[in-house]
Amino acid sequence: MSTKPQPDSQEPGTLALLIRRRIAATPERLFEAWTTPEQFVQWWGPPGVECPGAEMDLRVGGAYRIGNRMPDGNAVWIGGTFERIAPPSELVFSWKMEHVEAPAERVTVRFERSGAETDVVVFHERLANEAAREQHEAGWAGCLDGLVAFLET
Amino acid sequence: MASPQQAPRDEDEEARLDAIFHALANRTRRAMLRQLAKGPAMVTELAAPFDMSLPSASKNLKVLEKAGLIDRTVSGRVHRCALDPESLRDADAWLEFYRGFWSGSLDSLARFVAEEDNPDDQKRSKQHRSKTK
Repeated sequence: MSTKPQPDSQEPGTLALLIRRRIAATPERLFEAWTTPEQFVQWWGPPGVECPGAEMDLRVGGAYRIGNRMPDGNAVWIGGTFERIAPPSELVFSWKMEHVEAPAERVTVRFERSGAETDVVVFHERLANEAAREQHEAGWAGCLDGLVAFLET
Repeated sequence: MASPQQAPRDEDEEARLDAIFHALANRTRRAMLRQLAKGPAMVTELAAPFDMSLPSASKNLKVLEKAGLIDRTVSGRVHRCALDPESLRDADAWLEFYRGFWSGSLDSLARFVAEEDNPDDQKRSKQHRSKTK
């Protein structure tokens, strides 16, 4: 069984990342801001990254696409499908760079009510080394310097 | 907007997600993972920066192991921990990149809902953000 060959590119990555932010709004308001494309394009991305467009077929199995215009002007599109939609508390979707040969990653977003505020928890998993290299080549590398500068300020 | 629905998810998957969320919802364990993203380490090395006893470090590592985030190999008395070796080289930069990306995006989301819903609270919201940064 252990001799069964597995193509490397099909193995999901093992790295995962958890980001948590307390925001002064209700889970309902935040869920709406995340799942309504007209609102989503207004906030998506860190400083320096513009969102030129977003499409969402908000149902389980439905597809989404998010544009990311990098500081160097290149646009990178992320796409995937919704795996779980539980308003206003959870959203799960696959995450893949277009035109990149790498296994899909997965993002779980949770909106956890905390009094009048909400903890937004983003869990990004199945991150892979191989995906990292290809995605950097696909245009994220230019963004990295700007983000490092942003984080250090 | 299409009507949202709940997808059935099997029990194993739910349990796995719970284990991962539990493992990552702890500052010490996240720091251990960050260190392991730079390369494999012995349990003693992982315990040292936190001024923590070996049993306590071991307990945290077991939680990470159970969540499938790390592998542990035992050779004699030496316990060695590692993330997937394939993922080590660019992993740290990659995690740092996404950390910045998501962090920046959530800051933008906070700003967006604050400006739209509470124009008068912008100042307070900004102070709150800088405080929590």
